[in-house]
Amino acid sequence: MGKYLLRRILQMIPVVLGTTLLVYALVFALPGDPVRAMFGDKPVNEAVAAQIRAEYNLDKPFFIQYLLFLRNALTLNFGDTFAGQPVISEIARAFPVTIKLALMAFVFEALFGVVFGIISGLKKGKWYDSVILIVSLLLISVPTFVTGFVMQYFIGVKWRLLPVTAGSNPGFLDLLMPAMVLGSVSMAYIIRLTRSEVSSNIAEDYVRTARAKGMSNRSVLMRHILRNSLIPVVTYLGQDLGMLMSGAMISETIFNIHGVGFLTYQSILKGESNLVVSVVTLLTLIFVVTNLIVDMLYALLDPRIRYA
Amino acid sequence: MTDETIITNSQAAEPANPVAAPVVLKGQERFVAPLDETPLQDVDSVDEAAPATSMWADAWRTLRRNPLFIVSAVLIVLIVFVALFPKVFTRQDPNFCDLNKSLSDAASGHPFGYDLQGCDVFARTVYGTRTSVSVGILTTLLVLVVGTLIGAFAGFFAGWIDAVLSRVTDIFMAIPLLLGAIVVLQMFRTSSSIWKIVLVLTLFGWTSTERIARGSVMESKNLEFNTASTALGSTPLRNLFRHIMPNSMASIIVVSTTSLGTYIVSEATLSFLGIGLPSTTVSWGGDIANAQTILRTNPMVLFYPSVALAITVLAFIMLGDAVKDALNPKSRTA
Amino acid sequence: MTTSSNAEAMAAMQRQQGPILEVKDLQVDFTTDSNRAVHAVRDSSFSVYPGQWVAIVGESGSGKSTSAMAVLGLLAGTGHVVGGSIKLEGEEISGFSRKQYEQLLGKKMGLVPQDPMSNLNPVWRIGTQVREALQANHMDISHEKRSALAKALAGTDVTVKTNDDETFLGSAQLQGLLDDARQALETAGVPAQRREELMTGFTQAWVPGSETRWRVADDLIKAGVDDDRAWAIAKSRVVGSTLNDRIAGLLSEAGLPEAATRARQFPHEFSGGMLQRALISIGLACRPDLLIADEPTSALDVTVQKRILDHLHTLTDSLGTAVLFITHDLGLAAERAQHIVVMYKGRVVESGPSLEVLQHPQHPYTKRLVAAAPSLASQRIISAKAHGEHGAELASLMEHQVKGEEVLDKGEHIITVEHLTREFKLPRRREMFKAVDDVSFSLKRGTTLAIVGESGSGKSTVANMVLRLLTPTSGTVTYEGEDIAGFSGKRMLDFRRHVQPVFQNPYGSLDPMYTIYRSIEEPLRIHHVGDAKSRERRVAELLDMVKMPRSVMQRYPNELSGGQRQRIAIARAMALNPDVIVCDEAVSALDVLVQDQVLRLLNDLQAERGLSYLFITHDLAVVRQIADEVVVMQHGRLVEHATTDEVFDHPKMEYTRDLLEAIPGGHLSLGLD
Repeated sequence: MGKYLLRRILQMIPVVLGTTLLVYALVFALPGDPVRAMFGDKPVNEAVAAQIRAEYNLDKPFFIQYLLFLRNALTLNFGDTFAGQPVISEIARAFPVTIKLALMAFVFEALFGVVFGIISGLKKGKWYDSVILIVSLLLISVPTFVTGFVMQYFIGVKWRLLPVTAGSNPGFLDLLMPAMVLGSVSMAYIIRLTRSEVSSNIAEDYVRTARAKGMSNRSVLMRHILRNSLIPVVTYLGQDLGMLMSGAMISETIFNIHGVGFLTYQSILKGESNLVVSVVTLLTLIFVVTNLIVDMLYALLDPRIRYA
Repeated sequence: MTDETIITNSQAAEPANPVAAPVVLKGQERFVAPLDETPLQDVDSVDEAAPATSMWADAWRTLRRNPLFIVSAVLIVLIVFVALFPKVFTRQDPNFCDLNKSLSDAASGHPFGYDLQGCDVFARTVYGTRTSVSVGILTTLLVLVVGTLIGAFAGFFAGWIDAVLSRVTDIFMAIPLLLGAIVVLQMFRTSSSIWKIVLVLTLFGWTSTERIARGSVMESKNLEFNTASTALGSTPLRNLFRHIMPNSMASIIVVSTTSLGTYIVSEATLSFLGIGLPSTTVSWGGDIANAQTILRTNPMVLFYPSVALAITVLAFIMLGDAVKDALNPKSRTA
Repeated sequence: MTTSSNAEAMAAMQRQQGPILEVKDLQVDFTTDSNRAVHAVRDSSFSVYPGQWVAIVGESGSGKSTSAMAVLGLLAGTGHVVGGSIKLEGEEISGFSRKQYEQLLGKKMGLVPQDPMSNLNPVWRIGTQVREALQANHMDISHEKRSALAKALAGTDVTVKTNDDETFLGSAQLQGLLDDARQALETAGVPAQRREELMTGFTQAWVPGSETRWRVADDLIKAGVDDDRAWAIAKSRVVGSTLNDRIAGLLSEAGLPEAATRARQFPHEFSGGMLQRALISIGLACRPDLLIADEPTSALDVTVQKRILDHLHTLTDSLGTAVLFITHDLGLAAERAQHIVVMYKGRVVESGPSLEVLQHPQHPYTKRLVAAAPSLASQRIISAKAHGEHGAELASLMEHQVKGEEVLDKGEHIITVEHLTREFKLPRRREMFKAVDDVSFSLKRGTTLAIVGESGSGKSTVANMVLRLLTPTSGTVTYEGEDIAGFSGKRMLDFRRHVQPVFQNPYGSLDPMYTIYRSIEEPLRIHHVGDAKSRERRVAELLDMVKMPRSVMQRYPNELSGGQRQRIAIARAMALNPDVIVCDEAVSALDVLVQDQVLRLLNDLQAERGLSYLFITHDLAVVRQIADEVVVMQHGRLVEHATTDEVFDHPKMEYTRDLLEAIPGGHLSLGLD
């Protein structure tokens, strides 16, 4: 196990380096000019532009720029925004909200996704299986922002069950609807995954062997069908936790939540390349680390790869 | 193996010799079925009457019987027709807007009414089809080519080529599609071509196809028919193109069909965020974004493009499900 | 006590108790996607008496496994019993609900399933999966449960048998028991050397969780300890086992060594044979009265198969368990069971006492089976020889015209293998693993050389090196006097043209995307032989040669059976008129009748075209029918190399004898009908 962990961590290093390099290159080295982009529609002031270039090391060769960025990033020094705020403090303000939102969405999708998936997979062909399937198909097909507007319109505006928008310091109820919107698509995928896993595991030989032992239907279900079905579902959930952080952008925009997604979106609109690179780098890191945790979890759940 | 050694328990009785004393018990008397009950057939004879079926013909037969497929196919034909010939459905120019008609109700020839800018919602919904469908199809094709090629090479050559290509895939996979697309797109705000969206979605979308292609090439590579072909004198590259790739296509096609819908959603999302297509290109995502400010008063302006978008994505995702069922190796008799 | 009196006592018991399982006119249907009913089992009747082994024999698709699963109430998918009756101990169970079946399964009926690899859940430890069986049925883990039959039969041996006497030995008390035993032997005045022997015997025999009080007492008494002392020791030291003891005890009863350690491992750490033993211990964990064994050893090597079945036999005999044994091998069935039921196309076509069915088959299908079974065929050759039959009569029994010694001596060597060695790197191991170790032999033109060995013997690695699909670590393969390692370009293509393979897996060796026509045509295309027209003629010719209708040309492999695909593979191999065909387990995956048919085809082709075969197989019985010479391999080394007759009549090596011994049906005295 220790060796496996070490190997996975070593494999992670080139991925982290490569990903940050890629993100950095995409922002600063593509034909488009980030400094020009900062001015938006206004005419470019060459003197100011040159000053900005010097400040961000943009006048140096690309690879040197990247190394300097990396060195600063290691000390959590991501530079300042246009307004002179340190990027890191902006991020620190936004992250807790997004983490809260993402965790709520995660609990929502995991709970309902797995439960409905199991019901559906065990009773394939029953009417409620069809209902669950159709609803999950719809959730996948309708883009999150449409789901968001629909829920906002009915639950928030028409029926007044939950707050329409969240604002700057949101509580549990404020985040409930955004979290459901954020988790809805993943929930639908989890339902489908759980359903197909459960229904294919029912037909496994070892399930028949378990029944032949005289085990009760309940124990066979819990110990053999569900236990084995959970392996890929847990893997999916783990990967999704990393994705939810970045996927929060839509939800945060619609419900006016001042989280990471909102921050990123605003900085993109304002052309704050520095902030964008920093946030994307952090999100990517989170994604890579959650993936590592998922791999460990996978090794715990599936003994076949435990010492591989 | 040494661990196959037997433990002999002294408690074990001598194995009774089964043939020592044939005592016939009731119900176990000699029985021979009359021959006419089960007439003897030739050993292993070929049923020449059965219809010839290839994997694709088989899949097609399964598809034709699947209501999911029929519904999605009819929808897709309709959607593609709208995308190709929008003029058949409306004579209104989607970019012709008259502020005087802002938020007017439906009128004859304008069944969905007008939006905030006074543009015909119906015309915009019809013309938006083309954008969504072309982004979806073009991205899928491009991803199919890029992902399959890289995946096939990684899976086929294995070793260090695979190691390098797999790390590159990891790197692209670590960047979420939407985030990556946003970062790149903010550089090209001014370009109005749908190709920029297609290229960006391909850049961050090829990885899942690569994984599938790599996996299925590795799997088919080890199948015996490749060894058989090599022994017949075939070369590895010939095997790759003649045997391995055709056998890997099924799973690649399944993942491609399913992701088509995802690309359409991604385009709409990017346009919704205002960094996808510029306002001059009619796009459902952009229209939905414009309609959100008037959601409380005129929800229907948002409703029409949303429904169009949902139906289109639903049709492609249902098609993907149907194709998956039809090509599923598990459901096929070996 | 003699065997025959035991058998009589048994028969009396059986008559008194009546059949434990009685199946009458059973009908099982499966529903297809288009709602059509497929009759998998029709009007089938058979019965099993307590303590009896009954075999159901049939080819794949004959309904034998379906009948067994119907009895267990575990029919897969859409299968359901639509008619007839299934009685367990006189009670009708065919209409039972799942809940009612839960009460029967494990306790009354156990299952040993077919494929050991897929029948254990990969995520649970072996011991856990045994424990589930014990706990599901609330088994008393500290006392043995013996069937009434076993008690009655054992009753003639030992008189007192209360439940206390069936208490298991626990691992915590083992050392104390051994100490007491040693002391008791000393007191009893057993000489030192004899004492050590006895102690060694005790250490092996007294398995915690399996050995019971009265057996310990019995062992001590037999060793010379006086009755009172023996019982006193047994009563003080054999006081019940823990759950883990019982699990380990069950596993070691099934023949798993170091069971306590093994119980903590996962299925993927086990070999196929070990998994099968674990499944046997699960099937027998709750001491069912009836055990259904569905081809329990088909996937295993013959010697492992023999050991496992021997073990299962002693175990069920001592417990008085009845066994319904499903197999496709008539020889195996006759060797193991008293009563045979032959099934064909969902019906019972013949049944009766094993030997009677075997010696005087009545139904044409049974006759066909008896004629084709390789184990029986080789048996027939032996008896024919014993009867002093020679020449034509003997030759007609052997499908293959074996060449005389003089032909073999004079024969020109077409392929020679010298000091062939192949090493593989094992993952995360420093040392290399020698898959093939210094193997030399030569194949003579127009003859068949069989390489026999069990899985892991390196036989297929040799085949792949002969085909130059693998390069040897050292040693050479020469074809017509030239080292094949030096071949390249045109010469290599030429070699490929003359040396062709037929592989084991009939489902894997044809590309599922290719029509039969394209598959057979592929070698012609690769070697640029002829134009489209002449190629089509050639494919038609080849199909005739392997006795397949020309109409299959436009078919795909998935529409053909295993045997048909194998014939197509042979046609493809024959396309370029090769000299040598390497058959790597080419008939191993086929049903007996189909196997026989393919072997005949290979023999005919050899006779017509003077082909040379390198025939790789794990099945010695088949070798007798086809080979002129035999090479026996074990652990990568060549163990024995001689003519077929020599190997069968005078095997020199222990291992060869073991292999011969393990041929099922080898001990049956077969009358020549």
